Amino acid sequence: MSAAAAPGAHDGAVLRAEGLGKRFAGGWVLEGVDLALHPGEIVGLVGQGGHGKSVLLKCLAGLLAPDAGRVVAFGEDLATLSSVRLAKVREAYGYVFQNYALFDFMTVADNVAFPLRQRGDADERAVKALVRERLAEVGLAAAVGLYPRELSGGMKKRVGLVRATVTDPDVILYDDPSAGLDPVTSSKIFELIARMQERRAGSAAIVVSHDIDRMRAICARYVMLERGRVVFEGGEEDVAGAPRAVSDFFDLDGAGVLA
Amino acid sequence: MIRALDATFGAVGRGYLALARTVGGIVVLFGRILRAMVPPRFDRDETWRNLYDVGVKSFPIVVVTALFVGAIMVIQSAFYVKRTGATGLLGYGVGFSVFAEIGPILIGLMFSGRVGANTTAQLGTMVVTEQVDALRTLAIDPIRYLVVPRFVTMLLMMTLLMVLGDAFAVLGAAGTADAMLGVDWRVLVQGLLEAHFLDEFFMGVVKASCFGVSISVISCFYGLNVRGGAVGVGRAVNASVVANAAAIFVLDFVIGTLYTVM
Repeated sequence: MSAAAAPGAHDGAVLRAEGLGKRFAGGWVLEGVDLALHPGEIVGLVGQGGHGKSVLLKCLAGLLAPDAGRVVAFGEDLATLSSVRLAKVREAYGYVFQNYALFDFMTVADNVAFPLRQRGDADERAVKALVRERLAEVGLAAAVGLYPRELSGGMKKRVGLVRATVTDPDVILYDDPSAGLDPVTSSKIFELIARMQERRAGSAAIVVSHDIDRMRAICARYVMLERGRVVFEGGEEDVAGAPRAVSDFFDLDGAGVLA
Repeated sequence: MIRALDATFGAVGRGYLALARTVGGIVVLFGRILRAMVPPRFDRDETWRNLYDVGVKSFPIVVVTALFVGAIMVIQSAFYVKRTGATGLLGYGVGFSVFAEIGPILIGLMFSGRVGANTTAQLGTMVVTEQVDALRTLAIDPIRYLVVPRFVTMLLMMTLLMVLGDAFAVLGAAGTADAMLGVDWRVLVQGLLEAHFLDEFFMGVVKASCFGVSISVISCFYGLNVRGGAVGVGRAVNASVVANAAAIFVLDFVIGTLYTVM
């Protein structure tokens, strides 16, 4: 990146949650969450629906302010940053939303070009060429002039993926990128995630998903949330010794073998 | 008894707190808009799109409103004009009531119903579909990108549409005066000019500019604070229309009073 890279000491983690807590009217959704993301790694964030995964991702991106603990990105506490500095830090982020969040008044090409154009220093011809190239990579070369309402769910996911990664950010947060997609399209989405992470060596990612089978292909480490607390952190080889709820989630039989 | 009093005072207190939160939120948003305009930097595409949506698309409804406002003022004066034969005062009556009072209020209400409600619905939908969050993750300030262009275009277009509305109101009044009272349009215009109509005209334009500011800030406030999906968007649009109408009447009263004092 790194417009946001700061000289502060941060033990190599690009993103870190420390004792993170978030509460809404109904009570605490996250409690005491600790998590570190290092350059080049892809962490799978798993757990049942409604247990705080998306809220954690939004806190990590600075979209929600934590009620306890803090989020440190590139050595800087997000809560202490000015709006200008926070915007600079966010330039190093990519975020793929569960419900696409494509700008419905822009074409596919404009959606993808938007983050490049907003940085203000890009040559328009270069922007258009890069947008065409990235959309072609995900099989959407013919969709450049279409609006989001004219796309299928899988196509929207791919556009969201390209928009989040077109600036080659240092940290990418994927919020359930395969939600609501058929198995074939889901596989394609995870292949694309793997390809995008390969393109940018050193780029780190957190992937929220329930699709353990497909996550195995890209994630080396997992964090599992239950009722807003971290109940497991480690590689798949560590699951066997974890509580039953964790091994059940990873679909292991009693002997620690993949079912 | 104590429980009933507690409930009553509690409800009143909660109502006042909610009102204070809303008014405070609107004032804070207004401050953030002004802050975001320094230095002036507008997204060209977003501003252009808003100028078209707000200005060009509102033109027909403003023309129709203005024509009828002018015509209605003549109809209301017809009885006295016929009775007294004071046709020379028709222009004065139209000028004062249309330019300074009824014109800005009715055009402001039509504008808030069309543009304000639309703005709240647009921004509210962007909030519930996470498009506003997407802007933030792309390091773009939603106030600067979404709200400032709407603020500028509503201020500009409300003022411009008021000037055009005045012209069409005179047209409506002249046509109606000729058809119903047999008063030549030149007599009506002469009456307008002799009655120092510029004071009323400027008062109306000032009111329209203030309405443009209030409609933009209130509509954006309710749009950006939508909670609860599609139902929340509906509730926000409803609240925005009511708040805009109330703000128009309050501002009309305040500006009218200030003009009288000055």
